[in-house]
Amino acid sequence: MSAIVCSHVDKAYGATTVIRDLNLSIEEHEFIVFLGPSGCGKSTLLRMLAGLEDISGGKVSIGGKVVNDLDPGDRGIAMVFQNYALYPHMSIFDNIAFGLRRQKVPAPEIRKRVEAVSRTLGLDPYLGRKPAELSGGQQQRVAIARAMIKTPKVFLFDEPLSNLDAKLRNHMRVEIARLHQSLKTTTVYVTHDQLEAMTLADRIVLLKDGIIEQIGSPAEIYGRPRNMFVAGFIGTPNMNFVDVTVGRAGNRWTLTGAGTVLSIDGAGFHLQPGDRAVLGIRPPDLKTAGAGAAGLLQGTADLIEFHGNDALVTFGSGGKEISALVPARDCPVLHAPVRFTFEENDIHLFDATSGASLRRQ
Amino acid sequence: MPRRSSLPVTFVVPTLVILLILSMVPTLYAIIIALQNRELSSAAYSWVWFSNFVDLFSDRRFLNAVWVSVKWEVVTVVATMVVAIGLGVLMFEVASPRLRNLYCLLFIIPVLLPRVSAAFVWKFAYHPLYGIATYPYRLLTGGLIFDPLSKPSTALFAVASVDVWQWGLFFAVIVLKLLETLPPQPIEAARLDHAKRWQIHAYVTLPMLKAPLISLMFVKMIESLRSFDLIYVMTRGGPGVATETLDMYAFSQGFIESGKVSYASAMAVLMMIATVITFTMLWKRVQA
Repeated sequence: MSAIVCSHVDKAYGATTVIRDLNLSIEEHEFIVFLGPSGCGKSTLLRMLAGLEDISGGKVSIGGKVVNDLDPGDRGIAMVFQNYALYPHMSIFDNIAFGLRRQKVPAPEIRKRVEAVSRTLGLDPYLGRKPAELSGGQQQRVAIARAMIKTPKVFLFDEPLSNLDAKLRNHMRVEIARLHQSLKTTTVYVTHDQLEAMTLADRIVLLKDGIIEQIGSPAEIYGRPRNMFVAGFIGTPNMNFVDVTVGRAGNRWTLTGAGTVLSIDGAGFHLQPGDRAVLGIRPPDLKTAGAGAAGLLQGTADLIEFHGNDALVTFGSGGKEISALVPARDCPVLHAPVRFTFEENDIHLFDATSGASLRRQ
Repeated sequence: MPRRSSLPVTFVVPTLVILLILSMVPTLYAIIIALQNRELSSAAYSWVWFSNFVDLFSDRRFLNAVWVSVKWEVVTVVATMVVAIGLGVLMFEVASPRLRNLYCLLFIIPVLLPRVSAAFVWKFAYHPLYGIATYPYRLLTGGLIFDPLSKPSTALFAVASVDVWQWGLFFAVIVLKLLETLPPQPIEAARLDHAKRWQIHAYVTLPMLKAPLISLMFVKMIESLRSFDLIYVMTRGGPGVATETLDMYAFSQGFIESGKVSYASAMAVLMMIATVITFTMLWKRVQA
């Protein structure tokens, strides 16, 4: 049975529609990440699941029960907020115990459960302190403890790591992943950070302007983006896009653009001669070409960014900036001519007008 | 002292001296008069030292005034805070932002009225025959007379209600504005934590506002001490001595009944000392 089902869900503030006819089904024990640029409606959607925002249209059910009109407390969910949202005047113990006290759980049991949860999260030394006396990472751990202790059916995380510094963020990300491995609670996690999404998610829901652009595992989203937006949003450094015209030459297809003609087998794509398309290729998929290789992207290296293991080489080809990620030891010198080739399996072709992928499903 | 730094002193000192004279001279003069036996009827006087103070403690009317003052202070401060928090939370919970602004405007109007005007308005509203506040009673009982201002058991509360009408409504606006400044996330977290509406306020929002609410209470406590004009207009301390606070009694001893200014000064000095001690203790207590 699905843990969460959204069917035809809408959200509007007055005349502004934030989420349009959204359908989504989340399996039990799944770790789902809502990913998207600012203002895409991902936090709103999460808050609708939590019951903190009204649902303007459609149905949301959690654990088989329609929750549209249920209070947040009655939905069997727990939420972790971006700014922790701890009760500043209460001790850590009281913060964690607050929910249980409201449910009239007997005091000895509360003590037992708080101690168990705080042991799991390494909070035992701080139970008597106030939130302001803890660091950001510790405060976020208290917020997670407060959510965990309710043993909810669903965990909701609203950008929980955005207020932490980079190092702590990595650390907490690993902790959240471990926690999910041991608890197996269905989790919905909102972030704008694709690294978090890729590392944590079982499935990513990529949103833009309140519409789901693609749902899939991190590998699917990265390797088989359904349209240009998904392709451009996922992956660092960003995918290169080159406008090309499709042509036919013998039993092969040609892509003409960026001052070069590329020849591909084209069996994996829906192509028509004369189509205008966009070729997408990720910088790591460009390989330095040997002498005599065909189907080349070439130009003069105008910018070299050293990353450590790799270097990002940016070159101009037919008036278009293209980047390639090469191993640092093979890095060309600045202003040297560079030539790159690629595997046909690594390229993406999109319709120039609709942006939809031309790949055969 | 280096010459350069004497300039600020040159500007500050005259002001400070004037302020010091303005505040200290009347205070010292009151203390001096309290130690003498001056009366308005004659210029002659002698030093009687502490006998005024000794007399006060065997004066049953003075002890009554102390009791009335304490009652007045407790009733007005508690009622104001209860009304302010109750109304503030109610507005926060049920009123739309636009309606809130309207309520805020309405609730500020009473406090803008001069106290004497407010007192006259309500004195008439409590009129047993024509008052709007006593009208429901007349209607329900078929014309029976109810005069809250001339019954010893209700007079203090009737006067206090005017004070609460002015300050409780005004403070409700402040409480609403304080609630609006709170971050919404802890409130949302509490909703997810199974807290009911009233529990959110009892356990989360009001404790978060503890410091400003205590400051508000202090403001009201100081304000309640200065109730002379209100009581003077509405009851003049009556019926009997039912609403005679310390300042009312001091005033009537000093200027209305017997002109015993020294005796009245002794009361004022005692009141000052009691106030300073009480407030210092409360302040320390709150800070701890």
